[in-house]
Amino acid sequence: MEPIIETRNLRVEFRAQNSGSEKKVAVKDLNLRICGGEVFGFLGPNGAGKTTTMNVLLGFVNATRGSACLFGVDVREPIARQRIGYLPELTYYYKFLTAEELLRFYARIFGLPRAVADQRIEQLLKLVELDTARRRLIKTYSKGMQQRVGLAQALINNPDLLILDEPTSGLDPLGRMKVREIIQRLKNEGKTVFFSSHELGEVETVCDRVAIINQGELKVEGRVADLVKEHQANLERIFLNIIGYQPESDA
Amino acid sequence: MNTIFALANVVIKELYRRKDFYVLFVLTAVLTLLLGSVSFFQDIKVVRYVKEIALLLIWISALVIAIATTARQLPAEREHRTIFPLLAKPVTRGQVILGKFVGCWLACGLALVVFYLFFGVVSGSREHSWPVLNWLQAFWLQWSMLGIVVALVLLGSIVFTAPSSNATICFILVLGILLLGRHLNQVALQQPEPLRSVVYGLYFFIPHLEWYDVRDLIIYDHQLIGWGDCALASLYAGIYAALLLFGAWLLFRRKPLHL
Amino acid sequence: MKRLVPYLILGLLAVGCFSLATVLQARAYGWSRRAQADNILKVLLGDGRRLFANHFFIQADVSFHSGYYPSIFDQARAAQGSRHLTAEEGDPAHEEHEKSMDFLGPPRDWIERFGRHFMVTDHTHLHGDNESEILPWLKISAELDPQKVETYTVAAYWLRKLNKAPEAEEFLREGLRNNPNSHEILFELGRLSAEYHHDPARARKMWELGLRKWADQEAAGQKPDLFHLDQLAVHLARLEEKEGNLVRAIELLQLAIKATPHPEALQRQIEELEQRRAAHAPGASPPAR
Repeated sequence: MEPIIETRNLRVEFRAQNSGSEKKVAVKDLNLRICGGEVFGFLGPNGAGKTTTMNVLLGFVNATRGSACLFGVDVREPIARQRIGYLPELTYYYKFLTAEELLRFYARIFGLPRAVADQRIEQLLKLVELDTARRRLIKTYSKGMQQRVGLAQALINNPDLLILDEPTSGLDPLGRMKVREIIQRLKNEGKTVFFSSHELGEVETVCDRVAIINQGELKVEGRVADLVKEHQANLERIFLNIIGYQPESDA
Repeated sequence: MNTIFALANVVIKELYRRKDFYVLFVLTAVLTLLLGSVSFFQDIKVVRYVKEIALLLIWISALVIAIATTARQLPAEREHRTIFPLLAKPVTRGQVILGKFVGCWLACGLALVVFYLFFGVVSGSREHSWPVLNWLQAFWLQWSMLGIVVALVLLGSIVFTAPSSNATICFILVLGILLLGRHLNQVALQQPEPLRSVVYGLYFFIPHLEWYDVRDLIIYDHQLIGWGDCALASLYAGIYAALLLFGAWLLFRRKPLHL
Repeated sequence: MKRLVPYLILGLLAVGCFSLATVLQARAYGWSRRAQADNILKVLLGDGRRLFANHFFIQADVSFHSGYYPSIFDQARAAQGSRHLTAEEGDPAHEEHEKSMDFLGPPRDWIERFGRHFMVTDHTHLHGDNESEILPWLKISAELDPQKVETYTVAAYWLRKLNKAPEAEEFLREGLRNNPNSHEILFELGRLSAEYHHDPARARKMWELGLRKWADQEAAGQKPDLFHLDQLAVHLARLEEKEGNLVRAIELLQLAIKATPHPEALQRQIEELEQRRAAHAPGASPPAR
């Protein structure tokens, strides 16, 4: 089966700020292979290299070494992004546009014909429950509504791969549940979802497979059920062990 | 091309949904009409001072709109993180630069159309003559010049992080060129070598924005400019804008997106 | 009661402001006269407005030349003054001005050559109805700097030319209120009285006063304005001649001869007047040639 996302020995180095020529390795020789229809959780503490990996996959950052492909196409080619949807963390969409206008703008970028775009916008606004607020300027939206409009823009091209960066961060429990429902629905439709999150319970519920990364290095990768069985602990405990955190009660 | 026009459309929407343009237009209109209503020695035929003031205000407003609108485009995309969902789509950084340029330039053009319509109505109703072709030439040349300014500010928005510093530097630069650009060769001749060569080099290198300021020709009812000269000036503006945009793309393609 | 406290404080502060205003209003008059000025430009800009006055005066000159005007860089080659604004054709000031306005010269490079297609390159002067176009700039200049006498005299010249003598007089009177010692304004007012009101008595009064003011200024050690001395004395001499006061006319022409750049012509006129006086004198014999 051809992988949807594949990285081979992916290495990303940055020149660390305020340290002259010293280089910081953000991602160390990462190998990932995610196939179609999977929901893949990408976990790690802050600064572990999750966002950097996503940035390479989306073509925002160039890899220092190694390769990354989406649908078998090098990520540096814009065409590689034709079939993906991306929801970034903490984005404040063009506040002078309405949700409908924003979605139409992204639909135009994908070159969707007007009739198709109209239909798609209608469906998505219903899906993210913004159809009643579609003609309101985004600047009047609550944080949860902004996150939902973000999700709608990520789905405008009916993508085969969805990359979500902390999709539930800052949302209330109801908002989180709605996002989970949408991910589940996409999974049922056979879409591939690659997402990073700190909500380990959420990951455990939604994901087929997870990878835990720390200091740029892939520590663990596998099916959630297999990992739980192998480590005789839940995902949270496995995560804490990997990052070297000892709870005071254990000490 | 679709992507470029989609991006341009967002910039144009931003212009007419923000208050900057309306404030500047109302200010221009109020000042012009106020000064136009003043009677100087009971002479109702006096009109050139109204044209002078209206065109000065139009030039200042157009520059403010062009610089302020363009200066905030890329920094706002990065600050609000909208650049990420945008570049996660099949859009290249070159298209982003071009889309922003086209959007800002068209937005300036729309604003200029409104300003020149106002100018035409005020001037024509007082003078009882309608030299539409002269106005069209003045409008086209000013719009061409704004193309260079927009490209310059876009380049500046990649070099400077803060939109305010970019806008200030670009405004000073553009005003400096408009006021002094024409005379740099005279200044060069008064300098000793090697400063003379440096100033002369600068004279040839800077975009000659002053060519596009033909206010005097329409204030004092002079003849039309040759259409060939107009075309050459437009070509110069096009090449200069392309040069600046290419520079902007070279810098932007490797630029980290995080602020 | 607790809910009323903020309103009480608000009321007390308002009363405080009102009371202080009644006390301070009278004193503030002495601190600054700017706020009491009747002119909005004075209120806004204070004395700084004078800086802009010259700009608008030059703008009148630019308008007079339909946009053909030297910049500060060109001015290094073309000395500018305002005398040409009121000079008639054939006048030396006019000739001198024609020469000085040939400031463009041949283009030095292709940029300059090309740039000239987009600017005014012909030296022309306003004529006919268009001459009134310079008036707004002169009015604004006078508003900004009421002590700039040149503005009033130039505006009066053009208003006279445009058959707007009442407006010219009103503007000159405004100038005289702001510059009570100006012999230039008195000279222009005298011209209006003589040429438009045909009131030689009033014209004489103005010009005599102008001559006294000129003498006062010279006595005060100011650089003598020979042009206006010449004008005042010659015009007054003509008036006296018409009225038959030939002695006074000769005296005035003798005064003018010290100031004029063409003394020969005046000398001839003095001689003519001397002859006429001798001819009219009781028991006079024909003058010897």
